[in-house]
Amino acid sequence: MKRMVNAMKKTIGLFVVILTALILVSCGDSKPSNEFTIATWAAGTELSEFNEIVDKVNEAAEGKYVINTLSIPSDYYIKLSTQIAAKKAPEFFWLTQELISKYADLGAIVDLTDYMEKSEVLNADDYYEGVIQSALFNDKYWGLPWIANPFIVYYNKTMFNELGVTPPSETDDWSWDDFIEVSRQIAGKTYRGKSVYATVIEGNPNIETFIWSGGGDILASDGKTVLLDSEGTKRGVGNLVTLFRENLIPRYNTISYARNVYFERQEVAMYMGGIQDDFERKITLMPEADRFELGYAPIPTDPSGKSNPFDWTASTVMSQSVKDKDLAYEALEALTLAFFEWKIAPPIKGTLENIKTIAPDKVPALATIEHALANARSANYTEKWTELSDLYLWRGLYLPILQNPEVDYIDLIDKAAANMRSKIGA
Amino acid sequence: MKNREKIGFYFVLPWIIGLLVFTLVPMIAAVFIGFTDWSIVGSNIRWVGLANYQEIFKSEQFWHSLWITFRFAIISIPLVVFTSFVISVMLSKNIKAVGVYRIIYYMPAIVSGVAVSIVFRWILDPNNGLINLVLSWIGIKGPNWLYDPEWVLPSYLIMSLWGAGGGILTYLSALKDVPTSLYESADMDGANYLQKTFYITVPMMTPIIFYNLIIGIISAFRKFTDAYVLGGAGGEGEFYMVHLYEQAFAHYKMGYATALAWILFIIIMFFTVIVNITRKYWVHTE
Repeated sequence: MKRMVNAMKKTIGLFVVILTALILVSCGDSKPSNEFTIATWAAGTELSEFNEIVDKVNEAAEGKYVINTLSIPSDYYIKLSTQIAAKKAPEFFWLTQELISKYADLGAIVDLTDYMEKSEVLNADDYYEGVIQSALFNDKYWGLPWIANPFIVYYNKTMFNELGVTPPSETDDWSWDDFIEVSRQIAGKTYRGKSVYATVIEGNPNIETFIWSGGGDILASDGKTVLLDSEGTKRGVGNLVTLFRENLIPRYNTISYARNVYFERQEVAMYMGGIQDDFERKITLMPEADRFELGYAPIPTDPSGKSNPFDWTASTVMSQSVKDKDLAYEALEALTLAFFEWKIAPPIKGTLENIKTIAPDKVPALATIEHALANARSANYTEKWTELSDLYLWRGLYLPILQNPEVDYIDLIDKAAANMRSKIGA
Repeated sequence: MKNREKIGFYFVLPWIIGLLVFTLVPMIAAVFIGFTDWSIVGSNIRWVGLANYQEIFKSEQFWHSLWITFRFAIISIPLVVFTSFVISVMLSKNIKAVGVYRIIYYMPAIVSGVAVSIVFRWILDPNNGLINLVLSWIGIKGPNWLYDPEWVLPSYLIMSLWGAGGGILTYLSALKDVPTSLYESADMDGANYLQKTFYITVPMMTPIIFYNLIIGIISAFRKFTDAYVLGGAGGEGEFYMVHLYEQAFAHYKMGYATALAWILFIIIMFFTVIVNITRKYWVHTE
C-alpha cells in the first residue's frame, strides 16, 4: 500500500511539473521581433486572395520582416479581444470604424500619426477625407484604412422607364425632396403584376443617413458635443418618417426577407447600399425574363446641397504590444498599399482606375462611385460610440420609428439627445 | 490520513484541482470583476464599487431583457413540463414500435442548439417556411414570426417545445418506478384511466416534475444559443443572456456584464428557493 501511495505521489508530482512547464512555455514569447501576425476576418476564397497579397509583401521584404496570417472568420471581435486580454494580441488586426476610438481609448492600439506624417508613400492627405476621418480619434490617426464602401442609390432603370418615372442622374445631385417625390410616383404602382414600393428600410440604411439628410449630425467633431437635437436632425429624421407615413416603403413588421432581395425581386425600385453590393453579378445569374437594367445615383443631398453617403471602412491597426514599432509600421504600410489593389474601393485618391481591374462589373457605376468617394463620410466617433449608437440611436430613435411611424419622433430625438448628453457626461 | 484514504484523495485530486482552477477561482474573480470597469481589451482596471449594479438597475435595456426572459420563462416552463410529461405517459404504454417513437422524440434533445436554430430559421421563415406552408394549405396567411415583434415570443415558445425530449427521458424512467400494485388496486376499485393518471401517476411523478421544473427555470433564464443565432425583430429576441453577452463583447463592459451575471444568479436562486419552499405542498415523497 505504501509503495502504491509513493507511486501516486510521483505520478502527481510529474503531472504538476509537466503542467507548470506547459504553462510557462505557453506564457513565454519567443517570437522574433521582425515576425508579425495579422488577424483577418477573411475566409474561403477571400482568405486565399489575402494570403497571396501577404506572400507578395513578404517576398518584397526580402527577409527584413515576415507577416503571418491569422484567420478568424467567426466571432472575430470576441476572439480578438480575448487574445488581447491574454497578452497574445496579433501585431496587426482589422477594425471597423466604430471600434477604433474604443480600442484607442483603452490603450490597445498604437497612435500612427507620426508614422503617417513621416511616410513618403502614404500620408493622411492621400486618403479621401471622409475615409481617413474614420481612423481619427482625439486628433490622432489610429489605423490605416484599406477599403471604402460608401453608399449609393441603385435603381431599377427598367422599372422607372416602364412606370414613366424620370430616373435620377448618375452624378448630378438630387435632394431628399426629389427622392421623396420620385418615391411618391413609384409607390403603389403595379409592376410585373405586383404593387411596388419606392425602397425598403429596416434599420438599414443606418439612421446616420437620415440624420445627415436634413443637415443634422449626432456628435460634433470633438466627439463630446451632442448635436442630435438640432433642427437639421429633426428635418432629416422627418424624411424617414415621411417615407413610412405615406406608405412609400413597406412597414417594418411586414418585411420578411433581406432588403436586397426586395430589390432583386423587383418589388422596390431603389436600394440604398454600399458600392460593393454585387447586383450586377446577381442580375446576370437571373433568368432572362427577370433581368433588369441597373441605374446608379448618388445619395440625395442635404439642404445645403451636399450629398453625405455613409462610408463603411475598415482599417488595419497596430497592437500596442508590438516590440519594434518602426519596423512594424513599415510592414503595415507595405501591406496596406498592397490591399489597395485588392478590393473596391481603394480608399485613396487617384486610384479610381484600379476599380476597372478589380471589379470590371462596376465600370458602369464609376462616375457615381467617384462622386460617393469624394463625399463619403462617417460619424464623429467617440470611445462610447457602440453604446451611444445602440442605446440612443437604435433603441431610442430608429427602432421606435420603425415599429410605429406615427410616433412623436421629435420627442424621441429630444429624449435621445438628453440621454446621450448624460451618458457622455457620466 | 491513512494510506487508504490518501489513495482515494489522490484519485479525486485532479477533479478538485479542476474545480478550484476552472470554477472556484473564476467565481471569486467574477465577484471582484463585477466591482470594476474592466473592459477585457484594456489593461487598466478601476475599482468602481457598486456603480455597475447601480447602472444596471437604471438601465431600460436590463429591465427590457429581464421582462422578455421572464415572460418566456413563465409560459415555456409549464408548457415544456406538461408536454414532456404527456408524451412520456404516452410513450410508457406498450404500443407497437414504442422504441422508434422514443428515439424520435428524444433525438431533438441531442442535436446542437445552433443546428436547431438554423433549422428553425427555415421552419419559421414567413415566405418559405414549413409552418406558414402548412397554414397556407388551410387558407391561413401565416404571421411574420421572427420578423414581427409581436410574434417573436410565440416563435421562441414553439422552439422551446423542440427541447421537450430532454425531459422525456427522466419522466420515462420515473414512470417505470411507479409500483404496478397501485394501478392494480385502483383497477379493483374501479378507477378509470383519467382517475389513475391524476391520483396515481401524477402524484408519483411529482419528484421528477419538481426536478424538471428546477432545470426548466435555470435553462429558461439562461436562454442564449437560439436567441443569439436568430434574434428577433424590434429587440424582442434580446433575452437576458444575449443582453449580457452584448455588454461584454460588443460594448466591452466586462465588469458590467459580470455584475449582470451575478444578478442572474440571484434571480435564478430566488425562483429555485421559492419552488423549493413550495415543495412540501405538492411533491409526493414516500
